[in-house]
Amino acid sequence: MRLWKSWIVTKKDLSVFRKNKYVLYSLIAMPIILGVVLPVIFIFALNAQISSVQLTHDQLFAAVNQIVGLATMYFVLIPAILPSIIASYSFVGEKIEKSLEPLLATPTTDGELLLGKSLAAFIPCMAVTYIGAAISAIIIDFWSYTTPQIGTFLIPNPYWLLVIGVIAPLACIMSVEANIIVSSKVNDIRAAQQLGGLIVLPLVFVVIFASTSAQISTLLAIGVSAALAVADIALFYLSKATFQREEILTKWK
Amino acid sequence: MIDTKNLTRKFGNLTAVDNVTLHVEKGEVFGFLGPNGAGKTTTVRMLCCLIGKTSGEAKIGDYTIDNENDCLKIRKMVGFLPENVGLYDSLSAYRNLDFYGQLYEVPENKRRENIERLLTLLGIWERREDAVGTFSKGTKQKIAIARALIHDPQVLFLDEPTANLDPEAAKTVRDFILELKKEKRTIFLNTHNLDEAERLCDRIAILKTKLIAVDSPKNLERSLYNRKTIVHLDNVSSLVVAAVQKLNAVKNLRTSDNKLILNIDDPEKDNPEVVRVIVQAGGNIQYVTELRSTLEDVYLKLIREASAQ
Ligand SMILES: Nc1ncnc2c1ncn2[C@@H]1O[C@H](COP(=O)(O)OP(=O)(O)OP(=O)(O)O)[C@@H](O)[C@H]1O
Ligand SMILES: [Mg+2]
Repeated sequence: MRLWKSWIVTKKDLSVFRKNKYVLYSLIAMPIILGVVLPVIFIFALNAQISSVQLTHDQLFAAVNQIVGLATMYFVLIPAILPSIIASYSFVGEKIEKSLEPLLATPTTDGELLLGKSLAAFIPCMAVTYIGAAISAIIIDFWSYTTPQIGTFLIPNPYWLLVIGVIAPLACIMSVEANIIVSSKVNDIRAAQQLGGLIVLPLVFVVIFASTSAQISTLLAIGVSAALAVADIALFYLSKATFQREEILTKWK
Repeated sequence: MIDTKNLTRKFGNLTAVDNVTLHVEKGEVFGFLGPNGAGKTTTVRMLCCLIGKTSGEAKIGDYTIDNENDCLKIRKMVGFLPENVGLYDSLSAYRNLDFYGQLYEVPENKRRENIERLLTLLGIWERREDAVGTFSKGTKQKIAIARALIHDPQVLFLDEPTANLDPEAAKTVRDFILELKKEKRTIFLNTHNLDEAERLCDRIAILKTKLIAVDSPKNLERSLYNRKTIVHLDNVSSLVVAAVQKLNAVKNLRTSDNKLILNIDDPEKDNPEVVRVIVQAGGNIQYVTELRSTLEDVYLKLIREASAQ
């Protein structure tokens, strides 16, 4: 596996995405929605928490941390959903442009091509996730720091780090792999996006469940990470079997 | 340079390529003719290590097509123009070629030089920064050909390079192939265009799942029926007919209007004598022409025979 070969493919895909308005808008809209709108909503909830009940400083701190923790889970949704938009262009797009055949004729292995194309979907999705997470962290920390009852930064904390640092990338990998498999079966970008979205739906339920559970639990987060890791490995082998020269040229319709 | 032995490919129950054995010399332009679905594209895909074979063997240079490591080397030394151009519409002509240059491991300086040379040669250099999506079909095809040549390959597989092109664009592409021929590259040319095959190719193979014939265009044309010599006169007199009939070289003589239609085994050698005899017998010759079967006649006959079997 020559990583520099994969990187050539990644760079090409990224420049193709840059020219695609739909991909570009999706990439810009997501962090704005989740990075700005979401924390603002939660700050309202937090303010309500502060003003409605008389809590000790420790109790208040725990309650506020809880709400922040629940909000954090939503950040797993960005890297889970975005690949269905990007990967559909990346794989079905090449299928429609019929550009896979000359690509496969180059002295590049299937693995190198697959990695290059996967990275091209993974990198922008994660970049955008982290930008969104950073914006939301700044907003929440600014609020908590300037709120006299709290007066300290809430983020990062271990739970937040676990979700953003481990669960989000694992969810992104899963989504990218699932979308590669979907791409081999469909010929239409919209269908690929819908099917791709459908496949990550279970993950969405997990996220919503985790973010509404009564107690944020690091244990739950570790459980989710482990499940995602297993799913990633299984899907990796499936996507690798799907992305083979012979398969692509004779079976991808 | 290209060697196959009993190369076969099946798709389920369908045999797309059946026991094809052929040999292409280094520097040869080899035409691959056959009707739709004959297995031309499948053969080329196997030879470029894009799809596997069912049985048989094939080698490009010293490398065999069913060895993983050899395949990387084959792909590196081979240029491939697929049936569909498959360019990235949103990227510029230059970026498209540069991307492939990188994948073919061409050093940066050489890459820039090759792109400039190829695009200039094909008359697209001025438009190198335009998105490929804005180009006409013919221009896209030219860019795809440039792409196949970006790494100076020794062997070139062209799958119907002039399909869908207007006559002028097709001519540019053909002239370009002739240039490549001068550079002693081995060219494997899939085509439906018989005229093109005849003009460009040293040898032609006719395929219909099985290989039906392989020979030079000249020999293929001769194979159908012997060439005939036609002599146009202002008037065919019995004197002329009698004089010509006396010649040993003339195997058969027919007259039609003011024409003599002659079967002669070795026209290059015997025709001067025939002309002299006609003139001596008082015939006024207007034209002497050759009637030969065209590649099209041969192609159609062979394909029909193959279908009948
Ligand atoms: N992936 C595939 N699955 C099943 N059958 C296939 C596949 N690819 C090709 N075939 C069949 O193999 C045969 C040969 O096809 P191929 O594309 O090689 O023909 P061709 O000579 O290139 O034709 P054309 O002149 O139309 O390009 C056809 O009958 C085709 O239907
Ligand atoms: Mg074909």
